[in-house]
Amino acid sequence: MTSRSRRWLNGRAQTGADPYLLGKPSIGATPEQLRIGNRFRMASRPVGSHLSVGPGAVLQIGDDVWIGHGAAIASHEHVAIGDGTQIGPFVIIMDSNFHSGAGDQSEQHDCKPVVIGKGCRIGSRVTITRGVRIGDGAQILAGSVVSSDIPAGVCAAGARARIVGRAGEVTSRRYGAAVLLPELLRQTFALQSAPDLEDRELAAADWTDARARDLINAVRQQLGLDLEFETLRGLRSFADIAALVQRMPGARA
Amino acid sequence: MKRVSRWTSRLSAAPSWLVSSLGARLWLRDCDRVGAGARTFSRPNVENLGRITLGSGVRLNSGWAPVELASGPRGSIEIGDKVFINYGSIISAQQHVRIGSNTMIGNYCIVADTETPGIEDPEAAPFADARPVEIGSGAWLAARVTVLPGSRIGDGAVIAAGSIVAGDIPPGCVAGGIPARVLRAK
Repeated sequence: MTSRSRRWLNGRAQTGADPYLLGKPSIGATPEQLRIGNRFRMASRPVGSHLSVGPGAVLQIGDDVWIGHGAAIASHEHVAIGDGTQIGPFVIIMDSNFHSGAGDQSEQHDCKPVVIGKGCRIGSRVTITRGVRIGDGAQILAGSVVSSDIPAGVCAAGARARIVGRAGEVTSRRYGAAVLLPELLRQTFALQSAPDLEDRELAAADWTDARARDLINAVRQQLGLDLEFETLRGLRSFADIAALVQRMPGARA
Repeated sequence: MKRVSRWTSRLSAAPSWLVSSLGARLWLRDCDRVGAGARTFSRPNVENLGRITLGSGVRLNSGWAPVELASGPRGSIEIGDKVFINYGSIISAQQHVRIGSNTMIGNYCIVADTETPGIEDPEAAPFADARPVEIGSGAWLAARVTVLPGSRIGDGAVIAAGSIVAGDIPPGCVAGGIPARVLRAK
């Protein structure tokens, strides 16, 4: 398997020990441009991955980097991926927009280097735009669009990605709260259907002490979180309650 | 007249039925068990280092991009009866992935119990972070849905296109978004 991987990389990349390619990727680069560390792994099945490096540009990939299928990585100036970083399927990493403005299809475009640190975990279907620096050990949750710098050791999510906690602590636990909370609110407020967390104000008549206590009990039972009565009672919308619950550390899935 | 036209249309469907049924025998030969009447349209990729079982009447469409079934050395994939999986989807298990009967999975979906699906090579150390995934029966995953490790989707749930499922989705509801939330309860 390694020999076939070598053949696919030959003449296109400088590669360290034991590269492992699952399926044939499309690689548009020369060995001077594409430098890959030891134990590189990339999937191109079921959907092909491509690495493309423009003239005079460099794509640098560290040791023990894993890339899932359907990845699109393009460097027109400089893209660096640190050692031990894991990248999920269908990720897009590009240091250029390929044009300079709306409607302008000229060849000229300015690039800004993308630097991804060591030991990062990039989830599936994440898009990383030009000029982004991601610090060592950061975690980007699935489906995010990263268009600003992410510091080391944090967990970021959303489009555009914002910091939601420390790496390794949030992941699907926070998601668990997001999934269950509308249902808990529906039960507490005796609503017909689960409410939309984004745009619903709490009417003062509805938001009674008893309801707040019910919600505290439900959240404790279902999510294992202890909300404070005073804090909760002071909130005025479902969005605030959702934000409070999701900010709490150690939410149980 | 009506009977004749139905008879001819069944006749004209015969070659594709034959090709897809015989193709399933050939392309799914690496699976541990394949139920009766399985059909494949174009060639799926099967990478079976653990255990893969398919129920009867399973259909895999690999038309534009192949469907991939990948199980690691300790992984098992269990797919129920009459499951349909559309093109470009990957089902990957380093531990356990179960898909119930009559479930439909749209194109370019990812159902995996690790964050880098299908990438395991036999000599590598086993995945530490694999968490089993369970999809109930009669569920429908629309196009480009990602099911993250450790998720459970209840029977008959509908997941909207482009959603990312992380955590539990109750049975019978419609869920969607990033991360997927219940949009309409049962």
